Amino acid sequence: MHFMPILSTLRRHRTAAALIVLEIALTCAIVCNAVFLIRDRLSRMDRPSGVAENELLRVQLTGIGERADAQAITEQDLAALRTIPGVKSAISINMIPFGGSSWNSSISTKPDDRDAPVNAGMYMATGDIVETLGLKLVAGRNFNSDEYVPFDDVQSETKGIAAVIVTSATAEKLYPGQSPLGKPVYVMGSTPPVIVGVVDHIVRPNDANGIDQRPYSMILPVTVPFNMGGNYLLRVAPDRKQEILAQVDAKLDGVDPRRIILERQTFAQVRAKYFEQDQAMARLLLGVSIALLVITALGVVGLASFWVQQRTRQIGVRRALGATKRDIRRYFQLENFILATMGIIVGMALAYGVNMWLMDTYGVDRLSAMYLPIGAGLLWALGQIAVLGPAVRASSIPPAVATRSV
Amino acid sequence: MFQMQDVSKVFRTEMVETHALRDLSLEVKEGEFVAVTGPSGSGKTTFLNIAGLLEELTGGVYKLDGVDVKALDDNARSKLRNEKIGFVFQSFNLIPDLNLFDNVDVPLRYRGFGRAERRKRIESALERVGLASRVKHYPAELSGGQQQRVAIARAIAGDPKLLLADEPTGNLDSQMAREVMQLLEELNASGTIVIIVTHDPEIAARAQRNVHIVDGVATDLERGPALVKPKAAEAKAS
Repeated sequence: MHFMPILSTLRRHRTAAALIVLEIALTCAIVCNAVFLIRDRLSRMDRPSGVAENELLRVQLTGIGERADAQAITEQDLAALRTIPGVKSAISINMIPFGGSSWNSSISTKPDDRDAPVNAGMYMATGDIVETLGLKLVAGRNFNSDEYVPFDDVQSETKGIAAVIVTSATAEKLYPGQSPLGKPVYVMGSTPPVIVGVVDHIVRPNDANGIDQRPYSMILPVTVPFNMGGNYLLRVAPDRKQEILAQVDAKLDGVDPRRIILERQTFAQVRAKYFEQDQAMARLLLGVSIALLVITALGVVGLASFWVQQRTRQIGVRRALGATKRDIRRYFQLENFILATMGIIVGMALAYGVNMWLMDTYGVDRLSAMYLPIGAGLLWALGQIAVLGPAVRASSIPPAVATRSV
Repeated sequence: MFQMQDVSKVFRTEMVETHALRDLSLEVKEGEFVAVTGPSGSGKTTFLNIAGLLEELTGGVYKLDGVDVKALDDNARSKLRNEKIGFVFQSFNLIPDLNLFDNVDVPLRYRGFGRAERRKRIESALERVGLASRVKHYPAELSGGQQQRVAIARAIAGDPKLLLADEPTGNLDSQMAREVMQLLEELNASGTIVIIVTHDPEIAARAQRNVHIVDGVATDLERGPALVKPKAAEAKAS
């Protein structure tokens, strides 16, 4: 190995060496953080909703003007939608997972609790949410039909809510380590409903309360008309989604044409729309990372090519003194490895610096240490690939170059 | 030790075919000091390149220490070159980024010697050329004569059987040239074959044998065109 002689050579060409080390370091720092952020975005996009996504269709609509008969129209709409072949169930719901807008409320085991242990998303629907969304009931039961009360009655406090279903995460927050069934919670009004069931999970519609708050949801047996939230959710046969969507307008217009249908979406489209900024950011970061890696690779190729050209005679002399083609190739590869390693070491320190700045400025998470070996491996591999061409060219310089007059 | 029989070298391009060497035969025994002279473009450097395994021959047979070099692949030629041949070039060809120690170390690393063995050989070689105290110096810090002595140290550190010198005094003043020649003669006296390519008749006169190359054809200045037998062998035969 020519480790020390190469170091000696690099010391004597320290400006060029320092520039390529700096380029590698900056690339390492930025790519480590970019990969970390991409991974973070992808994991956000992959988060489970808890609902039967492949079987759900969403119809978003709005009425024209105030409608005193909205609840009655809603019931007619749902009845009409359920007649479409392939529709298993349909509900009118105030908000949907990944829908963006959300209804939230503090929820506590004590009345008037200013330090409520959890703030939860509040799902309400005309129709069976558990059945339509395909939620997994892990304890207790679904609502009985006599437990449903109209939203207006709850708001005017003419009727109270008797029952509530919570997610398992919400239940654990309220009654840690205990069965929550039959226990009261204070959520709307002064009469506490009782937890009658626990569902595994239903994600909140957005991250407004923080990404770590996403599993905290509850379902209330409160019926909502189409103009409150404006969402119909249909659980359908997965292979008939497009066919069903094509019939929705006619069915709804048949009940009341004085509505505007804003969206007809599969749940995959709802999810894609919600995460489109994350996806765009991930693509942007990926593009920047690839561009940086390409620029770094070109820098390595450029410097190595320059050095090969500059050292043509020296390479011939080395060949004359007994170096094989492989020795010459390995010399340049080792030289690149040393430069890349220096760049990676500086780059790792820079990566943490950039991450700390991102943490302070944008509140991103701390960079996981696992991204450093990933970045290092990537840059080592990139350097070796980039230097291979110049190294092979160097190895093809004939030893007779040593005796040629300059 | 060194046998060339009817060696030829032809350089071909699409348009031109150049015969750089024609049927050159030369045999050199251990301990001989041979000077190769000739005008510019006569084929001296081609002869040196072929003798030093830097180029492949087109025709004929070349045996170095009993090994037919024509049958060797590039790796085997590199290995043989490293083990058997030392080079001294006109322009020294030291590596400017390495100090004297590391310059002399270059062929030894390719030989695969361990660190201690290399150190011993480097120190011994630099001692022999009188530069042991300057191991940390770089070539640019030395005079031309000193640089050529380093090149000689690099050439002899691996104990080669054949030392090929290409105009070793061409870039030196007369005093330095005499010192370098004295060094080469000392090496020859210790048993190393020295073949020196030179323009300088004074240098050539110090060699035991003189081979003159013109238009790729070699002639022994003492014995005519057929250059086969070395002096010692001829003496025994007579």
